[in-house]
Amino acid sequence: MKFTWGDSDKRARELNEEIASHLQMAARDREARGESSAQASEAAGREMGNSGLIQEVTHDQWAWTWLEDLLQDLRYGARTLRKNPGFTMVAVLTLALGIGANSAIFSLVNGVLLSPLPYAQPERLVGATQYYPKGPLVVMREQSHTMQLVGMSDNKEFNLTGSGDPVRLIGNSVSADFFSMLGAQPAMGRTFRNGEDQPDKDRLVILSGALWEHRFQADPNIVGRWITLEGVDREVVGVMPADFRFPSPKTELWVPLHLDPRNTGDYWGDSYMALIGRLRPGANLEQARAELKTMRPLVLAAYAWRMPDNSFVNTTIVSLEEAIVGDARGKLLILLGAVSLLLLIACANVANLLLARATTREKEVAVRVALGASRWRILRQLITESVLLSLLGGALGLGVAVYGLVILKATLPADTPRLADVALNGQVLGFTALLAILTGVIFGLVPALGALKVDMTAALKSGGQRSATGGNHRASKMLVVGEVAVSMILVIAAGLLVKSLWILSGTSPGFRSEHVVTARITPNELFCAVPGRCLAFYDELLNRTRALPGVRDVAAVNGLPLGGGAEIFPGAIEAQPTPAGAHVPMFWEKIVTPGYLRILNIPVLRGRAFTEADAAPGAQPVVIVSKTTAEHFWPGRDGVGEHFRPAWEKEWRTVVGVVGDVREFSITQNAASWIDGVIYTPYGPHAIRGSGAAVPPAEMTLVIETAGEQAQFAGELKNTVASLNHDVPVSQISPLRSWVAEAMAEPRSTSALFAVFAALALLLGAVGIYGVISYSVAQRTREIGIRMALGARRQEVLLLVVGQGAKLALAGVAIGIAGGLLLTRLMSGLLYGVHASDPLTYGVVAVLLMFVALVACFLPARRAMRVDPMVALRYE
Amino acid sequence: MKPRYQNRIELLQGTLDLLVLQTLRWGAQHGYGIALAIRANSGDILQVDTGSLYPALHRLERQKLIAAEWKVSENNQRVRVYRLSAAGKKKLASERSRWAQISQAIAGILGPAGEESEA
Repeated sequence: MKFTWGDSDKRARELNEEIASHLQMAARDREARGESSAQASEAAGREMGNSGLIQEVTHDQWAWTWLEDLLQDLRYGARTLRKNPGFTMVAVLTLALGIGANSAIFSLVNGVLLSPLPYAQPERLVGATQYYPKGPLVVMREQSHTMQLVGMSDNKEFNLTGSGDPVRLIGNSVSADFFSMLGAQPAMGRTFRNGEDQPDKDRLVILSGALWEHRFQADPNIVGRWITLEGVDREVVGVMPADFRFPSPKTELWVPLHLDPRNTGDYWGDSYMALIGRLRPGANLEQARAELKTMRPLVLAAYAWRMPDNSFVNTTIVSLEEAIVGDARGKLLILLGAVSLLLLIACANVANLLLARATTREKEVAVRVALGASRWRILRQLITESVLLSLLGGALGLGVAVYGLVILKATLPADTPRLADVALNGQVLGFTALLAILTGVIFGLVPALGALKVDMTAALKSGGQRSATGGNHRASKMLVVGEVAVSMILVIAAGLLVKSLWILSGTSPGFRSEHVVTARITPNELFCAVPGRCLAFYDELLNRTRALPGVRDVAAVNGLPLGGGAEIFPGAIEAQPTPAGAHVPMFWEKIVTPGYLRILNIPVLRGRAFTEADAAPGAQPVVIVSKTTAEHFWPGRDGVGEHFRPAWEKEWRTVVGVVGDVREFSITQNAASWIDGVIYTPYGPHAIRGSGAAVPPAEMTLVIETAGEQAQFAGELKNTVASLNHDVPVSQISPLRSWVAEAMAEPRSTSALFAVFAALALLLGAVGIYGVISYSVAQRTREIGIRMALGARRQEVLLLVVGQGAKLALAGVAIGIAGGLLLTRLMSGLLYGVHASDPLTYGVVAVLLMFVALVACFLPARRAMRVDPMVALRYE
Repeated sequence: MKPRYQNRIELLQGTLDLLVLQTLRWGAQHGYGIALAIRANSGDILQVDTGSLYPALHRLERQKLIAAEWKVSENNQRVRVYRLSAAGKKKLASERSRWAQISQAIAGILGPAGEESEA
């Protein structure tokens, strides 16, 4: 292919002939003036000058030269790469790993952090950083001039009954103008209308596309049908398109918020939810933040009771994306940082390979310069070659990214925000291409500039390949030191995370998880509204379950530890009255049947556990507290016999026992920092509920002590529940161990990713050292031969070579430690039980890196040791 | 080296193009002939550099100001002969008037200085 005006080859031939005829005519004229034929043609030639160059320049008048040059460079580059398959393969593979890993992580960052939310004018969408109850929402919705505010509950569960087997669906309660605020259109029917979140108008539901398709067989007449959710009949008014997945891909339905100020506890105290909204035209984020501050006193004044003065003081307004992504941002950015360090190592490696090769190409470059090639042209040629290399790497890297992303999505915890939005799309392809080109220029530039510094005459004069290469070699040593340092940082980071995980899996969550199977039993709230009905139901269920084969014992709890869900309630301590206006202590409610503590092996430290008698209707109300709670409120005292009550009650309850601490909140925390204690009450009429409701909770989780590890009675359990009430779904029948494992999913996935990065970094670092030392041994073959001829022993040669590598590695390790101390501080939020500058981790990693470096040096050193002095001296 | 060469061409470009077009006004001519004609007509003052002439000829050809064809010379040699195209004639006319303006302007600047030195 030629990019010239017309036929380039023909033109070149004709141009040649034209110039030749010019020369002939000039020579003939000279002969006519009396010069000899030989003299004439020589003089004519001299007069003309460099005819090859004239042809080239003339030819350029016709060409789109840069394009032709580029094609020529590409052809030449491809030929060079083909001629060195080993080099090409190593370089392309290295780059593919580096670029591929970056593309995979970038798709993640792009999907979660960068891509705008798929709604109208997403940059105008905002969210509050804390949750509010319904009352404040209504106050602020009416007051705000800067935002259209809507409320959105967290995922809630709904029993769908009356159409096939009872199932548990996930949905959100939302303000009536939730959909119109987002600008989302339904696929069928309509969305909620203003005012439909008021009592008596709110018996409506909107289905997700997926639920409509799978549960209702894509019924085209679904709109207008009534379905029963949590015992409440609701009319289906609309179906959303399948790609509407807000607030989460799990959401299957939306119901209107039930805004009933008469229900004071629910309206002001309970059912906290996210506040999101859209900036009104002309308003900006700053104004919205300022307005939120000015509205705070209004909100507190509207409360039915006095709130602590500092309530909601730390809330602010952020972009909706930021509100959704939250903590995941830091982790993703750290991952992106780590993976770009990996790419740096890959670049250094390839630059090193190129440097080593540049030395052997010195002569080629010198000859081309001598023949009139401009240095710029040669630089372009060398850069083209390295970009070609990195584009190949990028193409292969795309394959790495495709598989990497599949693994990544499987590794990351399923509740990572916006994970469903992550995909390899055009932006990622563009990023990869850009990265590949940039990479090629960066790692190509160093060796190319080095090549141009070559002293032409020296390179041409010296017959062999051994010309002065000090400059290049110094550059390649520096690259290796840098590479080792960066690897060191990555391995330290991985080491810290792995140690965290190890400490984490070694710490007891405060309960036993072996031989315990759990199952969620979820009757409707309405079912328990009838006094005594739920008590009888669970009483009978526990008795029947206990009789199943393989079951030793069974108990029930309102929510499993490790964030299994529980409510918070304000309480009072007799020994420590709360001053007026001060923050009321908040407690974590645990509602359990008597066997719970024993089955989970939660030790009773002082006092006693609950008995059947505590749960009986006429019994004296008693509570049990956790160890930390007792120490916090009654320091230096026993705890048993002290008095406690929920904030809304008058009578004090007696503490009858103190039990061991349990990781209630998460695998790393017993309770969230804003919670002051954990209170156990027996399942029965005296259960303390966060909502203040006088009836015990409907949803409970069974903890079943089994003889074996596996749950073989799942079917029988379901039958048992169905025989009691066929509208009660049973779900999540699984060993408690897998629940514990799930709680570790997040730290485990982060550690795993870093471990992979570290392993790659170590591998690439080792290859880098190996490459440089091998090359240096090859360069010094003659010197080594002379040393050996002069009597140096083989061990000395070995030491010489290994020592050279060790010096580089040591420098790298030292810089790496300094860099690690600087950078790992950024990830202290991901660590548990280990400090970011943990000396043991640093030490072990330093030793590991030195070891790997020495092994990488040893191979070329052995080759050096076996150099035959005679052969080495004759070489060249 | 190439870059330096190109600089030299560009320096001469405007003038050289004008000279070539002017020379071709008297009839079709090959490159060597053009070079000789310019030298002769300038009283041996202007030496046309071959390295500038041929790129200029081909550039003019690409701009369709001149046309080229192969002919056999009186010495029975194949030569590439250039002749002025219609567009080239127009171009020559406008370039000539431009040149006239420039030389007038320069003369205007230089003129008084000459008179001063005479005075």
